[in-house]
Amino acid sequence: MTGVGADVAAVLAIARKDLLQEVRSRAVTVATLFFSAVTLIMMAFALGQDAELLRRSAPGVLWVALAFAGVITAAQSYQSDLEEGAFDQLLLYPVPRASVFLGKLLANWLYLLALGLLMAPVTLMLYGAGTGPDVWLLPVTLTLGTLGFAVVATFYAALTANLQAREALLPVLMFPVVVPVLLGAVRSSESLMSLHNAVLAGGWLQLLGGFDLVYFVTCTAIFHLVVEE
Amino acid sequence: MTQRQEATGRPLWLRILGLATLILFGVGAYLALVVSPPDVNQGQLIRMMYAHVSVAWVCFVAVIVMALYGMAFLWRGRPIDDARAVANAEIATFFAALTLVSGMTYSKPTLNTYWTWDAKLTLTALMFALLVGYFVVRGLIDDPMRRGRVSAVIGIIVAVSLPFNYLAAAWFRTLHPTLSVAVTGVTMAPIMLFVLLFNVAVAALVYLTFVSERVRIARLEHARQEARERREGDGAAGEVVRV
Repeated sequence: MTGVGADVAAVLAIARKDLLQEVRSRAVTVATLFFSAVTLIMMAFALGQDAELLRRSAPGVLWVALAFAGVITAAQSYQSDLEEGAFDQLLLYPVPRASVFLGKLLANWLYLLALGLLMAPVTLMLYGAGTGPDVWLLPVTLTLGTLGFAVVATFYAALTANLQAREALLPVLMFPVVVPVLLGAVRSSESLMSLHNAVLAGGWLQLLGGFDLVYFVTCTAIFHLVVEE
Repeated sequence: MTQRQEATGRPLWLRILGLATLILFGVGAYLALVVSPPDVNQGQLIRMMYAHVSVAWVCFVAVIVMALYGMAFLWRGRPIDDARAVANAEIATFFAALTLVSGMTYSKPTLNTYWTWDAKLTLTALMFALLVGYFVVRGLIDDPMRRGRVSAVIGIIVAVSLPFNYLAAAWFRTLHPTLSVAVTGVTMAPIMLFVLLFNVAVAALVYLTFVSERVRIARLEHARQEARERREGDGAAGEVVRV
């Protein structure tokens, strides 16, 4: 196989490995799915009985739940590898380090996107929020938003994987960076759910797209510097 | 003994720089507190602006310089570049904290709230959080080369995050218009502009002095560390011979 083809194959193989592991163990699924569901319920209790307030809070609650789920997913994807010493072997393969990052990123992103696609209708129902005519842009928002979370989370999870207190450290490092994603995704979702303004959503989607592109390139380029030799 | 003092003493230029900074700081404070006339709208409160804007500007310069030295470390792998990056990160963190505190103090009497979600202030708060993360990670890695590498990477991420966080913070505000007094866009009286620029220059001198001093200390620490490792290496070798 040629260079690029081999690299793509490596990325797909690593993503497939991570997803297969998840399908068989369901460790992250149980954690993130119920965590997100509990977050939705907790937030509904915290916000109170006001139906209008709940309806307007729906996008924010959805994306905060997804942000926390992104932390758990990314941390776990390295943790299960590190526990059995599999990560060192993964790094020994004669493929660029960036392939390892892209493979893990692909798996984390697909997982987070699936979670988002599942959680969005549940949130809409629980919080009594409606959708407008441009509801097809909601999956686009979910795609771009979860990609932004997944890029930063996968990158920082590699950085903190070998450190003490990584569970507390990862969100501390990651959340200030993903503020633009959270804001763009929430405002875009809000524009589609309650404001029915596709033009406004388009502006926020551009911010998300720009963020995803810049961080995707930057993190792929400097990933080899953060993994342990 | 003289050789030792030469090696560890503060060089003359740094003493002069420190002294000049101290004197000019006094002049800057005098200009801001006495010479500058009170503002038409804000009255005496404008005097706080001179300190707030100066530390804020220098804070962002320090963050950019930190990221550049981080890249230099990745490129050349010299420990001194990591030390320079850390010196900049330290002063950036301190100046960011000063910016936040002075900004909150300043906005309470002028805008009647401690926190305005102003784009620049929000950006500074996020940057402060990122810089704290930088130091937390540094404290957890023992190997100096890996510590330098990881720090440089975080430094680059901090620098990349600045434009996005600024955009996000600015757009966040446009959708939530607040009834705050727009301070920007007001043309400043020449004397006040002079006082402001003078104080920015003083803040830059404070920054230069402390970064130079910090790098000097880092050099000494590095030299001591190397000497200790050499001594321990000798000691270990001696024991092997004895056995």
